[in-house]
Amino acid sequence: MSRPIRIIGQTATWLGLAALVAALAQGPAFSPVADGHGELRLSMAHLAERLVPCRPLTEEERLALPPTRRVTEICERGRSPTVIELRLDGELLVRETVTAAGWHNDGRAYLVTTFAVPAGEHRLRMSLRDTPRDEGFDMEKEFTLRLESGDAALLEVGDGDVRLKAPDRH
Amino acid sequence: MKSDAGGTRPGPAARTLARMEGLFSRAFGGENNPFHHLGALTIFFFYVALVTGIYLFIFYRTSLEGAWESVEYLTREQWYAGGIMRSLHRYASDAAVITLGIHLVRELVRGRMKGPRWFSWITGMPLVWIVIVFGISGYWMVWDQLAQYVAVSTAQLVDWLPIFTDPMSRNFISNEAVSSRLFTLIAFIHLVGLPIVLVLGIWFHLLRIRYPRINPPRKLMLGSMAGLLALSVVFPVFSHPPADLDRVPVSLDIDWFYLAIFPLQAVTSEGVVWALGTGGTILLAILPWLPPRKREAVAEVHLPDCTGCGFCAEDCPYGAIDMVARTDGRNFELEAKVNADLCVSCGICTGSCPSSSPFRQREPLTTGIELPQFPIDRLRREIDQERGRADNSILLLGCDHGPTVDALASDDIHTLSLPCVGMTPPASIDYAMRATGYAGVVIAGCEGCDCHHRLGERWTQERIERIRQPALRKRVPRERLLSVWLKVGQEKRLASQVEAFRNTLEESRKDDGDKNPQGADAREVVQ
Ligand code: HEM
Ligand code: SF4
Ligand code: SF4
Repeated sequence: MSRPIRIIGQTATWLGLAALVAALAQGPAFSPVADGHGELRLSMAHLAERLVPCRPLTEEERLALPPTRRVTEICERGRSPTVIELRLDGELLVRETVTAAGWHNDGRAYLVTTFAVPAGEHRLRMSLRDTPRDEGFDMEKEFTLRLESGDAALLEVGDGDVRLKAPDRH
Repeated sequence: MKSDAGGTRPGPAARTLARMEGLFSRAFGGENNPFHHLGALTIFFFYVALVTGIYLFIFYRTSLEGAWESVEYLTREQWYAGGIMRSLHRYASDAAVITLGIHLVRELVRGRMKGPRWFSWITGMPLVWIVIVFGISGYWMVWDQLAQYVAVSTAQLVDWLPIFTDPMSRNFISNEAVSSRLFTLIAFIHLVGLPIVLVLGIWFHLLRIRYPRINPPRKLMLGSMAGLLALSVVFPVFSHPPADLDRVPVSLDIDWFYLAIFPLQAVTSEGVVWALGTGGTILLAILPWLPPRKREAVAEVHLPDCTGCGFCAEDCPYGAIDMVARTDGRNFELEAKVNADLCVSCGICTGSCPSSSPFRQREPLTTGIELPQFPIDRLRREIDQERGRADNSILLLGCDHGPTVDALASDDIHTLSLPCVGMTPPASIDYAMRATGYAGVVIAGCEGCDCHHRLGERWTQERIERIRQPALRKRVPRERLLSVWLKVGQEKRLASQVEAFRNTLEESRKDDGDKNPQGADAREVVQ
């Protein structure tokens, strides 16, 4: 093949490589949330009630323990699963039963999830069950959620407190 | 007349690939065809990323607060140096993904993961993961909105696995929660950890390969560098706005080479990403054994013909031959020993052995090292098939992986397909002309730097040029020898070159027509 054609071929190869790189290295754009939407994050790290409540030791039981370890209460380790439910304007966002962490289910119940939420004002209702029962909730809270497009709000569920943190634009 | 060793021939996919690659050979020439240097090009692109990365690091601030600004400074204020370095750093890393991907597919299509080559194949798998994690960790470093998205998505992927009780994602729920320690850890992984792991991984990948081609030809380095540099100048890389966890990025210009898993994760789930990643890896990893195939017999040493010279060990492309202490009491220090786990049955060692001389008067002919399925005695018998009527004939030695020679067989062309042309002992070329009396010999093997067995084509040329032992004797008239290096599927080009060669042979014969051709019975005695 003649020299000019070879040079054209080689140039085309490297331009082709550059074009392929260029085509995918900075785009096409991807939208993690749709336009006109914000994000609601739920982060829960919640210590639920014990499955079996602690009970005081009888005097006999206490005396049976070594003198340095004479506690007054005995507690089993297991904790109840935590049921969490979120409703946005009455519509169910999530309802999840989270078991307590750890081998003996004695840790916190952890949950992190996100939801795309249309911009605007919403009613957010959180219900939580963290005692060993089958129905009903132990805690219910309602918040007003104001989100603009691209905003992220955080609902943080701790051991005792629940906070909704939304970007303050005022 | 034709003969072949009955080895596996390239399938339709390999032929299609060869046809496509042939276009690049036309532009670059076989030896500089980028497709023949994909592994080396990948290493080269990483090297570019390393050098540019060191430059970036000089100005980089490894903290949540300083990272974005320091990168921004490089990109905008120092656009003429830092900006170009930054763009090159990204584009070279992306180019590495392209060459890596084609390298993988190419080895797959050509079936070069079977047999003892499983090792290179399997050690290639973790490299894919290392490279992807390397790239992803790099995107954290900018700490812009894209980095934020990558961090959040990575955390979600990690949280899907039952590793941490306290989810990693909790680090990224708000600006206050972001852990600068975690950020420093990721930076450390990208700057120190993964470079070391990658180098070790590549070293391991090449462990069973003798003389691996680590550097691509200069022409390819310069050309690809020019392309990426031009891209860096014309389309420099920019950051997104700084990370802000009170916001969620609405639109991201992502690098699909490294970050495509995150959109996939967004539209499917973490579980799907893990399933595809591990499932795909496992599927690829078992390919070398699918379908199970009987292994070809490996090379065998014949001690009475081995002087322990070590040529075969020097030439074996897969390091399958060890030189060990003599076991048969003969007065040599060493002997060759084949490691069956490493031998790919290419026969190149037969071509290396000084004892591989068809001139030796011995029935059957033996040599120091040979393949049981294609012993040197068979090679001599094949060559001798035309004895008595060879003076107008051409001996065409081909291989099972290059251009198919069988179709060229005719009354005056005797073809023979070897496992690799590197198997041809130089003495057999001499023998074919002097003893059998062929008018000419053609060696037709895989194109430059593309030998299926890696080094057969190179050793053959070096033996003919007398820069490698055993060298083709000076007395062999080079004008009666033609070597052609082509791809499978390029049989037409082979045919026309052989035709032209035959014409020149005929003309030169006419010129010295009165001289007698070599006496066909003049068997030369060597031992
Ligand atoms: C960082 C990524 C990689 C680099 C830098 C790399 C580099 C190389 C190099 C330099 C060679 C030697 C070429 C020669 O001298 O003949 C090679 C061979 C090979 N590579 Fe890779 N490689 C990479 C990834 C992979 C992957 C992902 C696979 C497939 C899963 C793979 C499969 C192979 C095979 C099968 C061979 C051996 C071919 C033979 O037996 O001759 N490589 N690679
Ligand atoms: S046949 Fe090939 S791989 Fe096997 S020992 Fe000989 S040169 Fe090495
Ligand atoms: S090349 Fe031949 S003689 Fe030399 S060590 Fe190998 S088998 Fe022995």
